[in-house]
Amino acid sequence: MAGRGKLIAVIGDEDTCTGFLLGGIGELNKNRKPNFLVVEKDTNINCGIFLARIDIGIILINQFIAEMIRHAIDAHMQSIPAVLEIPSKEHPYDASKDSILRRAKGMFSADDFR
Amino acid sequence: MGVSELDESSLLLDEKLLRFMDQLELLEEKRVTLNSLIEQGWFSLSKARYSMGNKQVSALQYASEIEPLVCIHARTQDSGEVEFCTEKVTGCQESGKDVRSIEDIGPQEVGVRKRNKPKKHITEKEANDKASSEKVPEVSPLKKSDLNPQQDPLKWFGILVPHSLKQAQLSFKQVIELSAEIATLQTSVLNTRQELKNGMKDKYNLQDKALGAQLDKVAD
Repeated sequence: MAGRGKLIAVIGDEDTCTGFLLGGIGELNKNRKPNFLVVEKDTNINCGIFLARIDIGIILINQFIAEMIRHAIDAHMQSIPAVLEIPSKEHPYDASKDSILRRAKGMFSADDFR
Repeated sequence: MGVSELDESSLLLDEKLLRFMDQLELLEEKRVTLNSLIEQGWFSLSKARYSMGNKQVSALQYASEIEPLVCIHARTQDSGEVEFCTEKVTGCQESGKDVRSIEDIGPQEVGVRKRNKPKKHITEKEANDKASSEKVPEVSPLKKSDLNPQQDPLKWFGILVPHSLKQAQLSFKQVIELSAEIATLQTSVLNTRQELKNGMKDKYNLQDKALGAQLDKVAD
């Protein structure tokens, strides 16, 4: 695993996951654990399973799902795995909600000038 | 002395701020491209679903064994920034083994078999030739493993898939490459932000020192 590099994980709706799996990022490892999570209405979202895996380098997540687990994403400070928020079919990408851009915007808040 | 240090730190801060702005601008540009590519991919997926049927392009078609075709390499630089780059996974040893075992089931001899050939005519030379001919097909399965058709996720959805599904695959492949670039940019944005924060703190400390020195002079 270490020799071939890290994986890209996806947490998203069916079409997002299908698209990225078509692109070739999908993996079912020896323990039958996938690197993708198709989120439906009653899916329990736990991004911790991907954040804790050392074989994952980037996590792609639909922004509306990221909103549901914002606390976990904001608490994630490491560079690896990098979390990338992407749009979904029904929810277009909103830069003001993106955790990275919000942190960057925080650069110019009153707290940073203290 | 204090003033020149202050000027230097201000100049450094300005440089960092400009770099920060450039990185944000580049990030926004790449984000726009990524979003449009994803939309294009969804559109192609919908078109494929329209032509193949509603249930034919869904999570139900995912293979029972999935292996990645793309992986990423993360390199941590001296500055603390992480660079992500994608790499195609060309061959897999496990799948190679599988293909070879399937090939072993088939006929070992290449030519037409002569069933009634008497044993006494077989000389040592012929036996050697036969042995060498048997060695040849052992090489070909290894070559086949590199192009294992089961690996292509397009095949999960059928043999003759519509062109729109191929277009969707192409779009998402581009998205994957772009997402690695964006991840790199994101880490560099956060890194520059941290540098800026530290620079500002240093500048405020210098300003306080300079102000204290000025007040001391006035008091004297």
